[in-house]
Amino acid sequence: MQPLSVAVTLTVNGQTHALEVLPHHTLLETLRDGLGLTGTKECCGEGECGACTVLVNGRAINSCLMLAAEADGETIVTIEGLCEHTPTGGQAPLGRASLAGPIDNRPPVGNRPHIGPGPLSRLDPLQTAFLEKGAAQCGFCIPGMIMAARYLLMGNPHPTVTEIQDGLAGNLCRCGGYSRIIESVAAAAEAET
Amino acid sequence: MRSFQYARPETLEELLALLHEHGPAAKLLAGGTDLMVRLRSGQSLPRVVIDLKRVKALRAEIVETDAGLRIGARTVMAGLIEDRRVRRHFSALVEAAGAVGSVQIRNRATLAGNICNASPAADTAPALLVYGAIANLVELGGRRSVPLADFFLGPGRTVLNRGEIVESIDVPFASEPSGAAFGRITRRRGVDVAGVNLCCLVKASGQTLFACGAVGPRPFLAPDLESLIAQASPISDLRSGSDYRLAMLAVLGRRCLAAAVSRLQLAMTAVEATCNR
Amino acid sequence: MIGQSAIRAGGLERVTGAQKYTADLRLERPLDVKLVKLDCARARIHSIDTHAARRVEGVRHVLTAAGIGFPVPRYGPAYADRPVLAEGETKFFGEPVAAVAAESKEAAEAAAAMVQVEYEELPAVLTIEAALDPASPLVQDPELRPGDRYAGTNILNEWRFGWGALESGAGLVIENEYTFPMVTHFAIEPHAFLAAPDPNGVTVWSPVQHPYVLQRVVAAALGWPVSKVRVISPDPGGGFGGKGWPKFEPLMALLALETGRPVRLVLTLEETFQAARRASARIHVSTGFESSGRIAFQDIHADFLLGAYADIGARVVSKASYAACGPYRTPHARIVARALFSHTTPSTAFRGFGTPQASWAVESQLDEAARSLGIDRLEIRRLNLPSKGEAFVPGDTPADGDWAQALHKAAEAIEWGTPLPKHRGRGIALGLKSSATASVSFALVRLHHDGSASVMSGTSDMGQGARTVFTQIAAQELGIPEARVTIVMGDTAVTPFDSSTSASRSTVFMGNAIMRACQDIKAQIRQLAAEVFVVPADSVVVSDGAVLLPDGQASYAEVLNAYYGSARGEAMAVGSCRSKYVAEHPLGGNPAFWELMCVAAEVEVDEETGHVQVRKLVLASDVGKAINPRHVEMQDEGAAIMGLGHTLMEHLILDSHGRIANLGALDYRIPTIQDIPAAMQSVLIENGDGPGPYGAKGAGEGGVLAISAAIGSAVREAAGVAIRDLPLTPERVWRAIQERQPKPQQGELTYG
Repeated sequence: MQPLSVAVTLTVNGQTHALEVLPHHTLLETLRDGLGLTGTKECCGEGECGACTVLVNGRAINSCLMLAAEADGETIVTIEGLCEHTPTGGQAPLGRASLAGPIDNRPPVGNRPHIGPGPLSRLDPLQTAFLEKGAAQCGFCIPGMIMAARYLLMGNPHPTVTEIQDGLAGNLCRCGGYSRIIESVAAAAEAET
Repeated sequence: MRSFQYARPETLEELLALLHEHGPAAKLLAGGTDLMVRLRSGQSLPRVVIDLKRVKALRAEIVETDAGLRIGARTVMAGLIEDRRVRRHFSALVEAAGAVGSVQIRNRATLAGNICNASPAADTAPALLVYGAIANLVELGGRRSVPLADFFLGPGRTVLNRGEIVESIDVPFASEPSGAAFGRITRRRGVDVAGVNLCCLVKASGQTLFACGAVGPRPFLAPDLESLIAQASPISDLRSGSDYRLAMLAVLGRRCLAAAVSRLQLAMTAVEATCNR
Repeated sequence: MIGQSAIRAGGLERVTGAQKYTADLRLERPLDVKLVKLDCARARIHSIDTHAARRVEGVRHVLTAAGIGFPVPRYGPAYADRPVLAEGETKFFGEPVAAVAAESKEAAEAAAAMVQVEYEELPAVLTIEAALDPASPLVQDPELRPGDRYAGTNILNEWRFGWGALESGAGLVIENEYTFPMVTHFAIEPHAFLAAPDPNGVTVWSPVQHPYVLQRVVAAALGWPVSKVRVISPDPGGGFGGKGWPKFEPLMALLALETGRPVRLVLTLEETFQAARRASARIHVSTGFESSGRIAFQDIHADFLLGAYADIGARVVSKASYAACGPYRTPHARIVARALFSHTTPSTAFRGFGTPQASWAVESQLDEAARSLGIDRLEIRRLNLPSKGEAFVPGDTPADGDWAQALHKAAEAIEWGTPLPKHRGRGIALGLKSSATASVSFALVRLHHDGSASVMSGTSDMGQGARTVFTQIAAQELGIPEARVTIVMGDTAVTPFDSSTSASRSTVFMGNAIMRACQDIKAQIRQLAAEVFVVPADSVVVSDGAVLLPDGQASYAEVLNAYYGSARGEAMAVGSCRSKYVAEHPLGGNPAFWELMCVAAEVEVDEETGHVQVRKLVLASDVGKAINPRHVEMQDEGAAIMGLGHTLMEHLILDSHGRIANLGALDYRIPTIQDIPAAMQSVLIENGDGPGPYGAKGAGEGGVLAISAAIGSAVREAAGVAIRDLPLTPERVWRAIQERQPKPQQGELTYG
């Protein structure tokens, strides 16, 4: 007795998707498995770790605790669409790289050491700050951390350290990179003004 | 996660009919922050999950009446915390709502859901109790109002009948200046389930009210700390020992009382300033 | 470049969500795997009925021990004692008795729930006391270790180290027992495993720290040559030892081969708790001191509680106990350590590798002696520290750093000795860990015809930043920009052999291997240049990326192109670094270096609630040379925060059935961003005295070694209570304070 699937329309990172989802599928599963947006991560599955944080209608939520069916008609932003689809104080490109187009694979220039030509897309100031301050270690918590930080800055452009801690209290980092994460959020807030 | 059917009624009548029809096989989905955890773990295996978020009659807003604030069934914790009126009149409720989970949880968890789950450790319950909150219930047959003090029966159990839901929660304005404070004991500073929580309200007349959670099968209210402690019947579990809970109840009681008194003094100074102007 | 904080290689992928972890990989038409487990630790399996499960639509395979045929393959990195599926009896909570492979996750889950297991719960050995009780059941079948003198006990092995004579007189003898809890790694990335048949055999994907160990173990379990097993190891989303040693990969390889399809298994966080943990320990220490504070002897008896299978547990115990006396001159020592089996999650490597347990006891003893003798806690450490070059474990690698410097810098940063307000206290402690012994790394470096370079390395980058550091080393040695270096990791078909990514060894061992390969390449370039430009080889100098000739200079690209012409070609070299295997050494060889960290902490204790707040934490590590200072600092801070977890809040709680009562993130609490010290300071001691590139030593585990003792000491100073059991939860600290104070009379409590 398989329950009927539910037809939903999700607007994810500016793109509208008409999908058939099973009633018990979470938004997280739908993003990762249905849409291939694997930047959003799964760890605890019960809203304690924040690795699956995305924005739904501009609010940070744990996508493991939301059914895909519930998200019908909603606007969702994931780490993949962060820069283009969330209000920020300004889309700051990587300081040392000249970015002509959306994708730039040229090695970075300038004095600051930067290793490895990667898929340099336009970055959110938070992503730039996390990169430059070295907040990511293993990196698994980082997408969720950045989404929660973006939500914080949307409502509070100049958070204190305590406010940053409160805003990110639902995001666990087992590498223990918290102090760099706080620095990065503060730096991004600074960069946006 | 075990599969289930998903229903998303748009009217209160549809919702109540569905609830009545499925009875215990149905689970009501508001913010989902508790239900989804139980669905994942298999503690809850409903045949149908009824999402109430598209029911227009159930409100996400907070409405001000002459008597107080009416908090809709869909109001989330973040909505409470951000509301200017709640902050002005019910600061301890804001503190309590702020203690619920993380930002992500508070963006989804509803106040009504928090009380309907009837966790003995529900953080908003002690605040609602000292503020004299009233739950407005609705079922197919009609409506009734129940003081929150009578709402909880035990862990996960409330006075709600089969097919009955909380439509809104009224929090009455205080008749005289007062101060209140919420506190809790946890295992770590960051997000945690309360080992003990407590709220204290002090009125200008000198009357006090204490309410607490996680020290008995349900959150409860008492006129003073002694009787609060006398009523407490904490259990030992993996979060805390019963003696520790009891001791912390006394500590929290003293600390919250002190904070509430100083807030009362501030409120009275503010009243005086207004009068003198 | 060296000594600068280059931005993390892979950092951009990590901040944009583009980094592909194992669970993010998509194979074609994979089957989803679900494990079938019982609701208790130990049970006799009477029967397993898979008929109903097989009838679930989409199910392709249901594997049980009986289905595999006997004997069921057993595997393990040190002892092949773990069956791929429980055979006859489960031995820990979460041990799979069957595995379902199906076309969807739903089908696999539904079918797993329909596998009917008839079983009878049996009494389980869950504690050290029970493991040592002769009346307790045996965890391991004695037939698995014929001839082993401990086969009739729950002791896996016992080690005895020591020197001198314990009878020697001591003015003061301090004797205490300390315990250290079971804790789990809780990497934010749960383990994920994929496997697929390939034309040569089988390919296994796993976020494993030691791909070559996994290759060896999977091959052995299948009875195949190593060359038929390919391991692809995407960057782990956190390892900490929990992803070091094989878990479900042999089972997954079997499932892939039996179904002929790719299979995938992503564990839940709860399942990772059931897959890996740190050994708990009970350590009884008797330490003798002269009245001057000098250590006269250390007599250490340590029992480590492993799980149901050995995993790498024996090595954890032997290695940690070998250096258990810490970084101190100990004229007389006796160390007796036992590794015990129990019906619990198999314990494995976990950052610090047994040393945090030993260090908690030994360092706390020094504090106790300092108090008894009226000596400063800093001073008692200083006067027992060996000088650089001095042997402190007789016959082994001498002290290889100016360790007093770390102690003093940490003391200075924490403002040791200055007055503190009430309820505050400070503590200081040293942690010392033996680094890798008997291991080897190979690196293949290719200098391409355009002058860019690729480095093939079997190291895993699990967040420590190995890829960044290797890039810096290769760029420095070849004299080319870092942006022109690519590090290739994570595929045994591509990267040469490496022992492991463990024991803080990669910068030293792999770093040296890369450095040597680069030097070899420069020598080759000189030869090629000499030949093609017809000049004497000794007149050619390769410096800073340029090839200097008697009458001009050329780039690498020009030399290679002149030599190979349109054939292009490249220069290629394998470098290696090995520490010698010494058969008679108890650890198989001398530690290549010692990893030393001094932790100093300032805490505030809320005496009414027992809450401990760490106000300041100082981490001074002796790193030789920080190739990337920021990476070292982050590793040190991260290790310290992880250590705060087992010091203040983390412990796995077992119920009477051997189930983990706090299974999952809701009740197993790790530090959040709100739990970090109000201030944290890293001090890097760089004297260039390590065996690695540019004098580097390994780093990254130091922070976890001594933090418990430093905080315990600070709590004692702040609240006057000595607690010898971790973690120092608010409730435990409160209880200690209650016992310290006379209890108030009934009715004496006043409110308001």
